[in-house]
Amino acid sequence: RTIAVQGRGCLLKEVHLNVTDLGLGYQTKEELIFRYCSGPCVDAETNYDKILNNLTHNKKLDKDTPSRTCCRPIAFDDDLSFLDDNVVYHTLKKHSARKCACV
Amino acid sequence: WGASCLYFPQTEYTETVYIGQPAGTPLLQLHSLLDSDSERPHFYLCWNSALKIPVYSSWFNMDLHTGVLSLNKTLEESDFALLNQKWSVYKLFLRTMVLPSVPSGRQCGHRKTARIVLDFMNASVPQCAQTDPKELCFPHKDGAIPHVMENRYPGALRQLRRLSRAGACPNYTITYNVESAPFAVNDSTWELIVTAPLDREESERYRLLLVCSIRTDSVITKLETPLEVYVNDEDDNAPFINGTDTADITITYNRTKGGLFGTLYVYDRDLTSICPEPRAQCQNKYVWTSLNSDPWIKQTFDLKDAFREKKSALGGIRETVLDYQLKLKRSLVVNENRSVQLHYLVNDTTYPGLRGSVLLHFNVTILPVQIQFPNVTQVFTVSRRASVYAQVGRVCVENCPEFDGFSVSYRLELPDRNMSSSAQSCLSAISVGQSPDDQWGVLFVNDTEPLGRPECQALMYTVVAQEEHTLMEASTQIQIVLEGDASKARQESPEFSSCAGNKRRGECESMRGLGATSGRCQWRQGTERGISETYSTCSPDLRTCPDTFCDAVERKDPSICPQDCTSEEPGPVVGGYERGIRDGIQAGHGTCYCLTQRCFCEKEDDEVAICDDMCKTVIATA
Repeated sequence: RTIAVQGRGCLLKEVHLNVTDLGLGYQTKEELIFRYCSGPCVDAETNYDKILNNLTHNKKLDKDTPSRTCCRPIAFDDDLSFLDDNVVYHTLKKHSARKCACV
Repeated sequence: WGASCLYFPQTEYTETVYIGQPAGTPLLQLHSLLDSDSERPHFYLCWNSALKIPVYSSWFNMDLHTGVLSLNKTLEESDFALLNQKWSVYKLFLRTMVLPSVPSGRQCGHRKTARIVLDFMNASVPQCAQTDPKELCFPHKDGAIPHVMENRYPGALRQLRRLSRAGACPNYTITYNVESAPFAVNDSTWELIVTAPLDREESERYRLLLVCSIRTDSVITKLETPLEVYVNDEDDNAPFINGTDTADITITYNRTKGGLFGTLYVYDRDLTSICPEPRAQCQNKYVWTSLNSDPWIKQTFDLKDAFREKKSALGGIRETVLDYQLKLKRSLVVNENRSVQLHYLVNDTTYPGLRGSVLLHFNVTILPVQIQFPNVTQVFTVSRRASVYAQVGRVCVENCPEFDGFSVSYRLELPDRNMSSSAQSCLSAISVGQSPDDQWGVLFVNDTEPLGRPECQALMYTVVAQEEHTLMEASTQIQIVLEGDASKARQESPEFSSCAGNKRRGECESMRGLGATSGRCQWRQGTERGISETYSTCSPDLRTCPDTFCDAVERKDPSICPQDCTSEEPGPVVGGYERGIRDGIQAGHGTCYCLTQRCFCEKEDDEVAICDDMCKTVIATA
């Protein structure tokens, strides 16, 4: 419900990956479903964002470029545990999104 | 040997019954092994509860003296229907007990019983022509393994004949044979008998080959089936000592409560069963008693016992080995100095004969611990550029790494009370720290201001070591030499950052970091791929950080070496890593760096790739 109001475009998407694709250095044949947040956040912008946009455009903020509203996880998936090739057990925390929002 | 104890050599009997089998048909025969020829077993069907007597129980009759179970009635189709069974076989369960006399009731109670399982087929008895000869000789399925108690009176063990099928083929003559002493077949009763008392310590298992011969007018058919008979153990061997019954023990540096000293072994050829406390019902139950009456000994020493099973070198028969170790009931003070002789009586309480016990002796010498330093003045050097918390060296009284059960703490004192105040102010440079679980004292830079003063050069301290209980003290002189140019050191900024925050070599080595011995942080370049214990990182002192141990100095400020000291508390490390046994990072992927206590391990894309064989080839050919 909240997601629909704050930015229709910011959505939870998923991709099927090998744990090695995550680039964290683990050597294993295990796989996972990785969920991530993606999409535009124009809908959720406020006067603050419009002003920042204008100031940056008119080069009033020197070299400073403050962060704009962006599509980020507001909740994470459950922990992921797996065995690596040396039969060592690992647990990944906060590795995959459960819920997205423009923040 | 032991009390009267009739028992079933097997815990389950199985047979098949069919519709149309007439009343009086014998189904199977139970056997009980005896203690003496004068004993007479009495067999009964019994129930676990009077309320749970099954409807089919009245169909069967157990002969009190022979143990033969027979049909009380002719089995009808309506009997099968009564059981309200959808399938073509219904399992009938009966329970049976054996007693030397007439029991007061028909409840099984806590007695050892055997189960009878009858497969009731919704079919009539197969005719002789339709019957496999094997079916006539041996039970359809027989998972029950006979167990015979050792040292008992020999006797019949099992009925080999399938009694329920005895009349199926009237023209056949069936005989059994077994050729493995001490087992035989009684030709007139078809019973397998054990002809002599067995000894488990001689053989734990007998592998028999049963031969069944079916003789008709024209042919003899011989069929074979294997049968294993196990021998049950009882406590019929006294403990013995193979080797020494005396252990000589010297207690010096390890004086901690719970410390174990010396091991004496007691052997017993019997098995020891593992059973819950209290082990009153258990076989081969051992107890030990101290023969010393001295209260000091009683308060100080204990005996730790353990038993294990091992196969004897000769014959591979299982036997018991008991280990006895002397255990300190309390920590001993460092000046305790005495010699005592301890005597323990170890008794096999379930052994019925005499000589069921052995004596164990421990000659214990407790030596006092001397708290003293080596008789030399130790010299340490420290750079004038060193940062606060830089480690200078370690101090320890003689043999301190071996201390257990007491600890020694260290402090620094002025070597001379009449020192000038300027000389005294130099001495604030160094301090000593100690981890609670470490016997070493760590010298570290406490104040950097004196390092930049030219008049502070060689700092003399008295290190005092104090034992915690006796408050015994020892002291030694140490000298700390300041190295380098004082004027340059004075120009350095007194501000220090955490080395661990740097992700790159250049930034790391140019930074003045907390705990840095040379004033500058040090870079460790990892060379391995994947998650490695030698990950790349920036540290104040590569000798102590990262070494997966958060030492006394690193503990003083979490930003000195978060690689060793980070805990799960501020959140786990981000990226590929392995946690240490205690705190800290055991291994990491790529470079590990820490910002305000949160650590990250990651491989930088633009990090200079280590040149592999492929890339060398490319460079060579280019």
